[in-house]
Amino acid sequence: MKITPRPAAAIMSLSLAAAVLTGCSSEQAGGEDTSASEAGCKSADVRLVGQVRNESNPYEASWLAGGDAFAQSVGLKQERLTYDGDSTKQQEQISQLLAGDTKCLVMNVLPNGDSDTPPIVKGADQAGAYLVTQWNKPADLKPADYKTWISHITYNGVESGQQIGDALATAIGGTGGIIALQGILDTAAAKDRFAGLEASLKKNSGVKLLDQQAANFSRAEALTVTKTLLTKHGDNVKGIWAANDDMALGALEALQQAGKAGKVAVVGIDAVPDAITAIQGGKMTATVSSDGTWQGGIGLAIGYCVATGKLKVADIAADNRAFFAKQFLVTKDNAADFAQPKSNPADYECGNVFNRVAGPLT
Amino acid sequence: MTAEEVVTAPRRQSRRGASFRDAGPPVALIVIFGIFAALSPQFRSIDNVQNIVDAAAVLAVVTCGITFVLMMGSIDLSAAGVMGASALTVSLLVANNRNDNDFGLLGILVAVLLGCAFGCLSGLALVLLKVPSFMATLGVSAIGLGVATLMFAGVQPNISDAMLESWAIERFLGFAYLTWIAAACILVGWLIQRYTRLGRYAYAIGGAEEVLTLSGVRVKPYKIAVFTLAGAFYGLGGVMVTSQLGAGLVQAGDGYDFSAITAAVVGGTLLTGGRGGILHSAVGVLLVMVLTNGLVQVGVSPYWQGGVEGLIVVAAVAAAVIPQRRRNQVVK
Repeated sequence: MKITPRPAAAIMSLSLAAAVLTGCSSEQAGGEDTSASEAGCKSADVRLVGQVRNESNPYEASWLAGGDAFAQSVGLKQERLTYDGDSTKQQEQISQLLAGDTKCLVMNVLPNGDSDTPPIVKGADQAGAYLVTQWNKPADLKPADYKTWISHITYNGVESGQQIGDALATAIGGTGGIIALQGILDTAAAKDRFAGLEASLKKNSGVKLLDQQAANFSRAEALTVTKTLLTKHGDNVKGIWAANDDMALGALEALQQAGKAGKVAVVGIDAVPDAITAIQGGKMTATVSSDGTWQGGIGLAIGYCVATGKLKVADIAADNRAFFAKQFLVTKDNAADFAQPKSNPADYECGNVFNRVAGPLT
Repeated sequence: MTAEEVVTAPRRQSRRGASFRDAGPPVALIVIFGIFAALSPQFRSIDNVQNIVDAAAVLAVVTCGITFVLMMGSIDLSAAGVMGASALTVSLLVANNRNDNDFGLLGILVAVLLGCAFGCLSGLALVLLKVPSFMATLGVSAIGLGVATLMFAGVQPNISDAMLESWAIERFLGFAYLTWIAAACILVGWLIQRYTRLGRYAYAIGGAEEVLTLSGVRVKPYKIAVFTLAGAFYGLGGVMVTSQLGAGLVQAGDGYDFSAITAAVVGGTLLTGGRGGILHSAVGVLLVMVLTNGLVQVGVSPYWQGGVEGLIVVAAVAAAVIPQRRRNQVVK
């Protein structure tokens, strides 16, 4: 890195340094250490890092809370990193981490996008740091080809899109028009979830998709789009399918402003706390939970088990190296169970860390 | 008085050009409205017209703020952060599910004042530290988002304040209260622009700051005041989004900075400063809202909408500046 005496550069490097304060002075770990660390670190030497986009939404906040809960259960502290959805910043944080002592480093990372995963994986592999990634990776990049990239965890969007589609169909009695609010159109999550809705529509032939619009996973955009669609289709709209809960909550506000609260069924995905409350109050029909708390804990738990030698990477079944994790349909019947994000220490025991594998990622 | 003459002199020269140029955006608005109305019966329904105007409310308020800054020839990218901070502030101060506060109107006032403070900060950074407005406001936006994230603390505050909630739901003469608030903002903005020294100096600074300085006018306090005023509008915008969404979101202002600049420019306020104004921007806001609404109503596929919208915006701006092309202005 070129060092320039400009104040902006100084401030930037200062803040970066602050983010990874503990690792700065150490020498970079050589390649030789990689094989040695396989033998096992002492529990107290393990360094746990959870990295997500930001702490300004309930989902990622619960992710970090889950990481904290796991770290506490093994007497450690999780380092929380956030990169504000900025790919460059994420890479900088990772390289700073990897420049420090990486011998017992465990990282549970949410890559910003598919293309951000390869450099993280390569860096971690060279430095011998244990890595679990979630949600985003290119299809041809496989953990099985690497020694310390233990697992990639993601969720089957087609399945969740279909689950809430079916729940919506049931809620409107199997017949009637619905509208769909899509996410950011060029993301895999938006594509898969919508494909799930299409599959559900095929099965429920009485349900008709009147219109589909992109509201970019945003509560505010969903509010505007829903109001427009309600004026366009009027009382024909019996249900609203939203690709995430934020949009579903925006749609609920739109219904309230149009005086149609309670007359139109609404479904979403993610199980954010407000959506759970809305389901408990009967305003919303269903959502799907990936259990963010568990995601935050499990990535660290898997890494911790390998780092301390309780699990061997070589012994992990191929299907567990990249997998779809179990997700849960939340309706009024079970909403209370999801109202309080909580982590179950049993999930993180080294024998149980792969208990939620729902199927291999193909 | 000398300053007054400097302000009006260049305008007098281009009187005919000005009126021609000013007619562009309203004509574009009418034409685009006409086309959509012909294509879609739902689009021309009373319900939908109300919907368009209601949906324009927040953008109109934010654009009011940004217009003053643009008139001055500066740029302001702080809307997203300031709105986020104000949204969180107001949602934590009125009745909500996070704490026992119930300050009502006072909470709203505090949120607007917080917006003022952020705007003032941008202005001070520009005037005292000589940070270009582009960077200063970007920084202030980041500060705003940071403050908002701290207040968010992992749990979304949902408001239960009856008055604030009613702003988005209750109607007067067919329009939501928020729309009337936006209309009041436009009126206030127009009065400031037309009748106060602050408004006229904002124009003059954008037109020819050097001349103004040479005439003995101290422009710095006015620059700070303009940014502070803009901040107040963003603060109110954040409050209005909170009312609409029923919750305080860090992302309350997402995208509003660029939508507002787009609306102002489409309406005929130039990024180079010294031209346009509140009424121009109001037309620009309506144009943008008619466009987004119309494309949905006539059933343009969502995969196409972004591109089509961008194309129409560029075409509209191009049409609006054609009368100026003769003057061979440098475009940057």
